[in-house]
Amino acid sequence: MYTDPILRVEGLRTHFYTFAGVVKAVDGVGLYLNSGETLGLVGESGSGKTVTAQSIMRIVPTPGKIVEGTIEFKGKDLLGLTEAEMRRIRGKEIAYVPQDPTTTLDPVYTVGDQLTEVIMKHQHVSKRYALNKATELLRSVEIADPQIRINQYPHELSGGTKQRIAIARALSCEPSLILADEPTTALDVTIQAQILDLLKALKEKFNIAMVLITHDMGIVADTCDRVTVFYAGQVCETGTAEQVFEKPKHPYTEALLSSVPSLALRKQKLSVIPGNVPNLIQPPSGCRFHPRCSYAKQVCVDKDPELESIEDGRSVHCHRWKELELKSAVAS
Amino acid sequence: MTTTLSRKKSESSRGVSQWALAWRRLKKNKVAIAGLGVVGLFALFAAFDGWPFVLTRNDHGLFAIYPPECIPPACAGGSLSTNAPPSLSHPFGTDSYGYDVYSEIVYGTRAAFVIGLGATGFALAIAVSIGLAAGYFGGWLDNLLMRLTEVFLVIPFFLLLLVFLQIIIKFSPSATGGLWLVVFIIGAFSWPGAARIIRGEVLRVREFEYIAASRQIGASANRILFRHLFPNVLHIIIVLATLQIAASVLTEAAVSFLGFGAPNSYTWGQLMNIAASYINQAWWAITFPAIFLTLFVMGFNLLGNGLRDALDPRLRE
Repeated sequence: MYTDPILRVEGLRTHFYTFAGVVKAVDGVGLYLNSGETLGLVGESGSGKTVTAQSIMRIVPTPGKIVEGTIEFKGKDLLGLTEAEMRRIRGKEIAYVPQDPTTTLDPVYTVGDQLTEVIMKHQHVSKRYALNKATELLRSVEIADPQIRINQYPHELSGGTKQRIAIARALSCEPSLILADEPTTALDVTIQAQILDLLKALKEKFNIAMVLITHDMGIVADTCDRVTVFYAGQVCETGTAEQVFEKPKHPYTEALLSSVPSLALRKQKLSVIPGNVPNLIQPPSGCRFHPRCSYAKQVCVDKDPELESIEDGRSVHCHRWKELELKSAVAS
Repeated sequence: MTTTLSRKKSESSRGVSQWALAWRRLKKNKVAIAGLGVVGLFALFAAFDGWPFVLTRNDHGLFAIYPPECIPPACAGGSLSTNAPPSLSHPFGTDSYGYDVYSEIVYGTRAAFVIGLGATGFALAIAVSIGLAAGYFGGWLDNLLMRLTEVFLVIPFFLLLLVFLQIIIKFSPSATGGLWLVVFIIGAFSWPGAARIIRGEVLRVREFEYIAASRQIGASANRILFRHLFPNVLHIIIVLATLQIAASVLTEAAVSFLGFGAPNSYTWGQLMNIAASYINQAWWAITFPAIFLTLFVMGFNLLGNGLRDALDPRLRE
């Protein structure tokens, strides 16, 4: 075994150098993850969740660059590894479950080809052995008729089946960490529940740590042990799912929770957070949330708060967390 | 009352690949199949000397690309009567040098395949390398390669071809490698359009999640490029190749007909150039090569258009 946390990210800055200017997509993100635990990354579109996950695997697309920070995985500094060393980690130790299953499989190869590609790359086994293993994997992600599916091409499969295959591919080398980037967003609701249950079950079975990126608070409540809330490339707060849902410490979390549609509350109108995600080329001064924050004061405009650790495992990125009495719209 | 829903198992456990689907679509397209048939006939024509009838078989090697020693000015002339009209023994007649036009056309078919395949192979080798590199690596390399492509695109290539050949003819009238030079020059100037199309396709395919997925599973850049990107742009390369074959042969024919052809080569354009001066005595000597040229180009164009329809992902059901 290795010492916890299995993954520790500190002061991560990933910037995109576009013609319009430097987009600070991730600007000082810190998070950690213990083995076997599920961490939810929540936030609006463009808040830097996906770029954080890409940074962890060092697959940030051009023109993006990891500017600074530490990413420690099982005690190794991933940013210090060579590209060849990193390739041995991708797919083997850290696996990725992508967002859109419809295009995640290469249309010119069969399902079997795509699964054996990973298995043979990382485990150096024969094609025959890899194919057997692939069939086993399809069975473990609850696909019917694996012997038939293994010879089929992606266009012959449904979206849900493709996502199961993507999960099978992620699991194929028994990784210790899975990064699931909105794995259910492109699926319909009944399939979503199945895929989430499957992920939870497999995670338990193989004792895998998982980073689950989502913007669905329901999924977070259902699946995650701990939550990190993102806003504009920064962390707003981190805590266990109960802590964050019951007692949010950051105004943004409060606003986010009150915008969750709820049948029980039967509100007339869904509350929304006013304004848009800020322009990340020239982010607002001070706290990045201040233009949309109903509790903002002068200090929020002038100074960017620190990410403060407030109790065991909990941290908040706000000047006024001590004085504010925030309510949770979903607290039971 | 109960109804039993029986689930039909697929008879075979093999999946149907995109290529198999494309072939099914191509088979439904009668025009494309006609084109394929014409191309196939020409291939047989070129492969077997004198096929399907053995006529005036001469002693020149069976699979010679063209018989340089038998070029009209260089050898003493055929043993046949000159400018004889089509007859049973000479279905397309004989030309002004006393050669059987049918035999000449057969040799011309070989030359056409050499020109078409050679120039296309050369052009697409350049186009694929540049298109893949520019599209996949992007950045300054893309910029550099695309500017280079644009430079080649604005060079008046036909004029350049004529100038080059004229120089060759002037300096070495007995050169026998002239046809390869024509192939080389046509190939060297035909790639820019294809390179841009391939780059565009690479840019499109590159954004698909499965390319990102292969990085996520730890594939190297080479592997992504050749195992994932290349097979997914191959369909456009096939279409470009088919159309480029027709275009190359047509270009060579035009050059030869103008009298700038590679000396000592036996192409349809050359035949037409020689026969043009005798058109009032022997119309057949120019007409039949022209018909074969047209059929050849048409066959490849129809096949190319059919392939494009069958392989175009936007038309996939």
